[in-house]
Amino acid sequence: MEIISLHNVKKYYGSKENTVKALDGIDLTIRQGAFTAIVGASGSGKTTLLNMMGGLDVPDTGEVIVDGVNLSGLKEEQLAVFRRKKVGFIFQNYNLMPTLTVEENILFPLDLDGSAPDEGYLREIIELLGLKDRLTAFPDMLSGGGRQRVAIARALAAKPSIILADEPTGNLDSQNGQNVAGLLKMTTELFHRTLVMITHNMELAQLADRVVRLQDGRIV
Amino acid sequence: MLRNNNLKICRKLVRREFQFHKGQTLLLIMAVTLVCMLYTFSFSLGNLTYKGFLYSYRTIYGSDSHIIYENITEAQAAALKKHPAVKDTAALSAVGVLSDEMLENRNVRLAAVSESWARETDSIPVCGRMPEEKDRADHDKAVFDESGLDKTVVHGESGFGKNAPAEIALDEITMNSLLIPHEIGAEVPIKWRSAEGEEYTHTFRLCGWWENQMGETDSCAWITAETAEELCGKRPDTLMLGVTLYLPGDLEKQAKDLLADLGLKDISYTTNLAYNKARQDYAGREAVKFYRMNLIVVLCGVLMICHIVQLSAQQNIRFYGRVKSLGMTPRQIRVLAAQRAVMVWVPGILPGWILGFLLCVGAAPYVVVGMERNPAFAFFQLWPFVLSALLAGATTLTACLWPVGRVMRSVPAQAVRYIESVEQRGRKGRKTRAPVARRMALTGISRQKKQSLPAAFSLLLSLVVLCCVRTMGTSYDEEKYLDGMALCDYRLCDASAASGVQRYNPKSRSITPKIMEALSVHPAVTDMGQACTMEVPLYAKPEDRARIIDAFEEVDEQGRARKEYMADEPDWLAGYEKMRETGEYIGIVTGVDGLMLKNAMARQAFLEGGYDKEAFDTGKYVIAAGAASSHIRATPPVGSKVDICSREFEIMASVPLETTLLSGKDSRQAQYNITYYLPLSAFEELFPEHGIRNVAVNIRREEQKAFEDFLSQILEGTGTDMFSYKDYQWTFRNAVFHLCMIPLFVGSVMLLIGMLNFANALAVGTLVRKREFAVCESLGMTKKQLRRMLLWEGACCYGVILVLLVPGTGILTWLWGRWWLAHTNTWCITWRFSLLPLWVSLPVLLILSLAVPLYFFKKIAKESVTERLRELE
Repeated sequence: MEIISLHNVKKYYGSKENTVKALDGIDLTIRQGAFTAIVGASGSGKTTLLNMMGGLDVPDTGEVIVDGVNLSGLKEEQLAVFRRKKVGFIFQNYNLMPTLTVEENILFPLDLDGSAPDEGYLREIIELLGLKDRLTAFPDMLSGGGRQRVAIARALAAKPSIILADEPTGNLDSQNGQNVAGLLKMTTELFHRTLVMITHNMELAQLADRVVRLQDGRIV
Repeated sequence: MLRNNNLKICRKLVRREFQFHKGQTLLLIMAVTLVCMLYTFSFSLGNLTYKGFLYSYRTIYGSDSHIIYENITEAQAAALKKHPAVKDTAALSAVGVLSDEMLENRNVRLAAVSESWARETDSIPVCGRMPEEKDRADHDKAVFDESGLDKTVVHGESGFGKNAPAEIALDEITMNSLLIPHEIGAEVPIKWRSAEGEEYTHTFRLCGWWENQMGETDSCAWITAETAEELCGKRPDTLMLGVTLYLPGDLEKQAKDLLADLGLKDISYTTNLAYNKARQDYAGREAVKFYRMNLIVVLCGVLMICHIVQLSAQQNIRFYGRVKSLGMTPRQIRVLAAQRAVMVWVPGILPGWILGFLLCVGAAPYVVVGMERNPAFAFFQLWPFVLSALLAGATTLTACLWPVGRVMRSVPAQAVRYIESVEQRGRKGRKTRAPVARRMALTGISRQKKQSLPAAFSLLLSLVVLCCVRTMGTSYDEEKYLDGMALCDYRLCDASAASGVQRYNPKSRSITPKIMEALSVHPAVTDMGQACTMEVPLYAKPEDRARIIDAFEEVDEQGRARKEYMADEPDWLAGYEKMRETGEYIGIVTGVDGLMLKNAMARQAFLEGGYDKEAFDTGKYVIAAGAASSHIRATPPVGSKVDICSREFEIMASVPLETTLLSGKDSRQAQYNITYYLPLSAFEELFPEHGIRNVAVNIRREEQKAFEDFLSQILEGTGTDMFSYKDYQWTFRNAVFHLCMIPLFVGSVMLLIGMLNFANALAVGTLVRKREFAVCESLGMTKKQLRRMLLWEGACCYGVILVLLVPGTGILTWLWGRWWLAHTNTWCITWRFSLLPLWVSLPVLLILSLAVPLYFFKKIAKESVTERLRELE
């Protein structure tokens, strides 16, 4: 069953002769529960594509349908709640809240929603990611790998249907990168989430069920 | 599904933000404090100005009551008191008014003590006490009862019993006009007129007096109720009733409505001038000047807070972008920003109020002059504080919501990317062969344009305001003013002519020969002179009269005869008509000598003839003074003769009447007069028993302190008033300060804000390039090169500021100054263009330009290059 589908999505930056075609007529569908890797050179439109799927950016033309919801039909307020409930983001630079503790960061999407956390589920995630002893620490007290584990836990906390990861290992050394990627794949499989991950690392891409290659804003 | 807005998380985030950024939070609280202080100060001062005007109107009216009903019965008074619109009443039982001609410009009621009325009119004795019956009750009362009242004597001496005059309390002006010594127990002969128009004279004993805070023109002479009853032969059957309303508005209408509600007719009343709509409107217009300054306060407040918020604008935008990408709704973001505003607003209010009020306490005595109690406390009201707090809140909210607006306008992906775009901005298309440090400095400057713009704008605005104030302040010419107003260093005024409403009493001898002698031998005195006056009936010959009549009846350019301008002066008109018909008029014969003569002559523009000292000293000549303009001569011609007390004088010259020469007022009969100056020796021959109206004294300024001590010693208890050039100087400086105070204060705070903004811009410009500097260092740039680059940057920045501020401030100040000069109608102005605040500020800005970037770079450089390169969060 399709959980993400993009139809003729275009996104251009600049004007006239300076136009950059970030996405140039993308048609893509992603199955529920699948692990999809998006690869491509720098500037090929990977991050823009991921942002479209997560409702962080809007296409110039075309439509993005996620879990049956056409994102172009949503108002800003609805889009925010959609992101909160349906999508878990993992960024290359973690995007943790520096003023919140590890535990508070993990619970942040739930706090935004005002919904009660599923204690058992969260405990399981925290233990899986090895964060049990660091819950009261602040992000700047953790290593890069530790911070990315927190970001993964936060992405999973609200039980979203889709996890979107933008080069989650980009800032980590290879050992840490392997560990984080392994954890990410394991947790999404365990909790039956759809994972879309951007990576430059072909070894990591090989872990995916499907690899989508982008070049100059087109799927090749 | 798509609805949920939990706001608790906002509180948590705001709390944490403040815990993690204490410095910035404190800076923001300080900014709110400053803004709240500015609002409190200007609103309180506006309120003071308004209340000050009303206070002066109340002073003229003589009472705090809103309406005063006259000649009403006790039953009517009781009914009025019970009316639901009436808050309070003060009753006065007057037996008549003091009818001495020396009090002709004033209305002094002889009345039974009324504590409430005394309170309303500030007429409670400060020396001695109110009259009491018990003092003369025992042994004297018996004598009084037997002697009874002599009500038949008019204009004659009478009393209640030779041994037991009743007590009376008076105000100082009345005492000085009636020549009553300032001694408890002194005899007080009072001439008074009853409501029926009968005149009596009785002698009382002084038991207390008070200085006239209110009631220069309207006052009371307090006697006991028993005495009042004895004077009337019965209890006075009518009252005056001062009424204070709950909601004063259109008092004329309210006064009528009250009477109509109670079915009362034919009752006369007066309403308090302070509540007159036209006067209130005028006071309101004066106060609005202060409130108008708040527009600038709003502008500089928003600029200030915005700029401090700008300190972390990139973090803020990234922060909002980040929370937005994680699913925070726009409403939640707005609430988050609003809560941030509230968190800095609440702690900033109280210190802002306190500082603003303290400033107001300091400035209040210059705004409302002549009150014993500080007007800031006397006119304290809550609304300026409430309004200040609300406006400070609105200002803070506006400033805090600004970055939110930018996030709202962009999609989250843009906001998250913001930091990268900032770092890349301004790097393209710049090709120069300058050394690397200088080239990078120039690039750095262009990248800081946006941050520096509000700083430059607030600096320009504040310096223009300050330079305009400075130009205005220095253009008010003190010397010109003192030349025009102060005849001498010190002027002594006879006690009966100290106030502008007092008719000078020539019998007064408060300036004694002893005082004159002491003055003449005092080593500090360099020059002195005196002026004595006497009102004398004179006669104008038909040919002289014709010239004067022509002068007053000639039609001017406005199509009005000069006498028509005096239509609201019935005494003047009566005097003029009498002169026109009969030739009889009152001459103010003024004997002058020494400094007084010198000043009088030096200041006069001779309309006809001239001053010949030798001839004048012979005592055969006089100088005539009257109303005059370039083509009007309202005095008899030069060469004509005037008969004063059977002695003939020739008119040597004709001058315009100098109104500042003498203090006090002449009699109502003499409102139309011609003044004749003659030598003091001649005046003494004419009036050997004269008093001295005014004395002018010049001193060596270095002995001023000793001289003033001497003066206060010799004048003590005489009632003689003293004005010094310092009073005029103070009046002038106070008026200038009053005009300049608010813009000066606002301009100073704005300059401070501008400086802070400028320093902030430099600090931000350095701090945001933390990683960039690390990259430069990693590529081989030394710290010395980076410091040199920052110095270049600072110097360039200063250069840009200089190019903007110097011509900008100069041109705007000059334009405003010329406009002001063209539109002001003050006579004591000499155009003095000044940019002093700009010249003082420039070195400070240079120091900031060079020192701030270096200081922050030093802080940054404490971390290792790798640490800085790794830092992403």
